[in-house]
This record gives sequence, structure tokens and C-alpha cells, in this order.
Amino acid sequence: MGSLIDAFSIPIIRHAFFGIVVAGSTLSLLGIIIVSLNLTAIRFTLMHTGLLGAAIGTAIGSQPTAGAFIMVLAASAIMAAITKKKNVSTSSASGLIMTASLAGAFIILAVAGVPAMQIFDIFAGNILMLTRIDLLFTIFLGLLIVTFFAIAYREIQLVLLDKELALNLGVPVDGMMTIIFIMVGIGVAGALRLVGALLVDAIILLPGIAALRISRRFLSALLLSSLFGFLSAACGFILAILLDLPVGASTAIVSAIIMAVVLLLPDTHR
Amino acid sequence: MNAAVLLERVSAGYGKTTVLDQLDVIIAEHSFVIVTGSNGSGKSTLLKVICGVLAIHDGEARVLDISLMNPNGRRSVRRNIGYVSQIQHEPKIALTVIESVLLGRWGSSFSWLKRSNEQDMEKAEDALRLTGALDLASRDIRSLSGGQRQKVTLARALARSPSLLLMDEPTTYLDPEAKSDFMHLIRRLHESLQFTAIIVTHEPIERKRSDRLFSMRQGKLFELTGEQRSHLWDR
Repeated sequence: MGSLIDAFSIPIIRHAFFGIVVAGSTLSLLGIIIVSLNLTAIRFTLMHTGLLGAAIGTAIGSQPTAGAFIMVLAASAIMAAITKKKNVSTSSASGLIMTASLAGAFIILAVAGVPAMQIFDIFAGNILMLTRIDLLFTIFLGLLIVTFFAIAYREIQLVLLDKELALNLGVPVDGMMTIIFIMVGIGVAGALRLVGALLVDAIILLPGIAALRISRRFLSALLLSSLFGFLSAACGFILAILLDLPVGASTAIVSAIIMAVVLLLPDTHR
Repeated sequence: MNAAVLLERVSAGYGKTTVLDQLDVIIAEHSFVIVTGSNGSGKSTLLKVICGVLAIHDGEARVLDISLMNPNGRRSVRRNIGYVSQIQHEPKIALTVIESVLLGRWGSSFSWLKRSNEQDMEKAEDALRLTGALDLASRDIRSLSGGQRQKVTLARALARSPSLLLMDEPTTYLDPEAKSDFMHLIRRLHESLQFTAIIVTHEPIERKRSDRLFSMRQGKLFELTGEQRSHLWDR
């Protein structure tokens, strides 16, 4: 306990804790949308485009995370545009962009002579390098997500339930989908910085899957997802401090344990 | 008798593709109409035009005595239209049946920051009662059978207290017994609530149930009468 108190007396640790807790509580709300709209392949694509962005950033001597962020945002905008085209399926576009991104990243790293380990940060994340700007951005992103759910609470439900019905009732479905893609893109990009590309699911997807499994109402799914995201982030961070583990990995472990416990519970909505 | 739907020389489509081609039709209020036709013949496009989602390229369109020639008219007409879509694959969203029926009132009494109220909830309950699905109100929509889900979809459309009910392939994917039950229910509700009903389908649903029967081919409507009606599903 003493080591925990000592650790939290350091400002950078407090910033990091606050950052990951805010991200865990709010980015996890996006998981409800991702699962309900079957967008799991798309967030995987966004993670790979993040890798391409990191490779570009590293090759030109800039920050890998900045490159990843820009590339993920660009890819989410492209995916949003593609889904409006009737003749291109989302999964086809997703596969194309994912493969091209991965290939592009390896080519850039090879041509630029960058050791692959140099972009390891993008896989593992580095919450302890969180700057004040990063923290403010995380809070801003969290507020943006909560505001989106507050303003479009029923509209989101309609789009998740039946896009055709939503369109016929007059909901601007294309606009909503664009906002959702951009939001998921920003969420993935933000999570890259906190827990790394491989563990983005820990705070975005797993809390949402677990919450949807034991909720019957939309609001309870949102609240539970947020709670699971919060617990994963807070407990994962504290575990990492106490046991001297990587924060991303310990957050993912807690998230996976919550998911496993939920899977063992009776399926109440059936 | 007033016309619920009046389309004169209406052409509509997507981008440069014309789907409805110089289409004329008048559908009287309170009538029960079935439009048949193969996939891609333009049936769903016809419904999109009637509910004001798709703007027309050419011609004149009035629905429930409101012109669809401008966005305000199209928005206004949607408040009085209920829409029953084709049964969806199993939904993944966590939503109780009553919550999902409440969503049917979106755009008529609440939207965006204007929240739903007690009256909306009462309307949603009434709609579930009408379709005989009130006992499902607190169930998770993911746990419903196909037949139950379509009753809930119908309740969602009725929650708007519509003057015009549009149904797009409402019985597809239902088993024969559920199809028959659903059509009985629609007909009974049509008689008691007196809305105008338009069903588009490629399936051989019971033609005797309709006041008028149309066949849609290459973007045009042809009314079937007498012999043509009785032979439609024998071919």
C-alpha cells in the first residue's frame, strides 16, 4: 500500500491514472455501438492503419503516435464514405485497407531502415508518457462521446436497431454513421496512446460485449459498459503499479477477467 | 372519398438511375392495397417516395393531402405514416420491447433533445396491446421469435397512430403459420383503426385480403382485376 501511495504522489502517475480512468469510462461506450452495428472488423482495420501511420511518423522523424492518430482518423473518414456506396461492402473495404496498411507499414519501415522495435510503443502504448495536452485531449474526447450519446440517445438506438426504419422515419442515417465512424476512429486513436494497438479492445470492446450480454435495456448497457471500462482501467493501473507490470497489459487482463465472469453468469436476456 | 396517395406521372430513382417511370396511381383513404412484383421492380422505391424519404425527379405527388414536392411537406407527411420493415436478422442492441416500440414515435412527438414523455409511453403500450404483444413489453428484443418480432415491428409503426401504414415485405422469413397470423392481424387492425394500408411483397400472400391488387413491372404499376387477380399466384 505504501508503494501505491508513494507512486500516486508523483504528478505524472496521477495524470496517467486520471487519463486512463476517463478513457476507460467513456471510450467503452463506443463498444456498445461497435458490437451492435457489427463494426468489430472496422476497428481492427483502424488499428492496422494506426500502425501504418506510426511507421510513416517514425520514417519522417516525427512522433509515431501523431502519425498513427492522423492515419486512423483519415481511415475512419474513408470507411464512413465507403459504407455509403451500395456496391462496396464494409467488410471488403475493411479487408482491403487493413492489408494495404500492414503491407505499407512494413515497406516503409524497410525502405527507411527503421528498426521495427522503434515503433513498439504503438503496440504497447505508454501511458506514463501522457502529457498535459494528451490528458486534456482524453477528457475532451470523453466529453464528446458522452455528449453524443446524450443528444442522440434515441437516434442512436434507432440506427442500431434498424437503419432502414431510421431512414424512413427521417433520421439522418448517413450523417449519424459518419459521426459514429469518426468517433470510433478518434476513440481507437486515443486508446492507441494509452494502452497500445494490441490492447485497444480492452477498454473499447470487451466492456461493451460484457455489458450487452447482461443488459436488457439500452441505458443499463451503457452504464455497465462504462462501469466495466472504469474498473478495467482503474484496477489495471493499480495492479500495474503494485506488481510493476505494463499498464496496457494489466488493464487488458482485468478487462478479460470481467468478461470471463460475465460469460459465466446466466444469460439473463434469453 | 379522398385520396390517401396521389401520384401523377411520377419518376424517381437513385442518382441517374430511374426506377419509377412516369407512374400514375390514386389510392383512396382507408383502402387496403397490395403491390406485388419481383425483386428490383421498384416496390420499395415506391414506398420510399410515398413516405417522403426519396425526392421525385418528375411529376406530382401528394400523400394524405400534403404535397411531397418540398422538404417541409415530406417531413410533415412522415409524422402520419407508420412503416413496417422486412424482418431483420437478430438485433444485437440491448433494448426492451417497450423501448423499441417507443422508438416508433420518433419524429412525431420527440426527437434529439426533445425527450419522450408519459404520453409517448402510453401510446407505445396501446400499440403493443393492439398487436397482442403487451405481455412481451419487458422482454429483450433479442430474445423474440421471428413472429413475435414482426408483431413488435407492427406495434412500433402503430405507435405513431398513423393514417397510412406502409409495409415492405412484412412476412418474408416468417413460417407459413406466422405469415397467416400476421396477415389476419393486419386485416383486423385495418378494419378497426381505419388506416390506409399498402403492402409491397414478392410473396404469394393472400390476395383476397386486399381491396386492390397491383403488379409492379419495370417501374410502372398495373392494377390486377378479375381473372388476373385469381391467377396471379397460379402462374
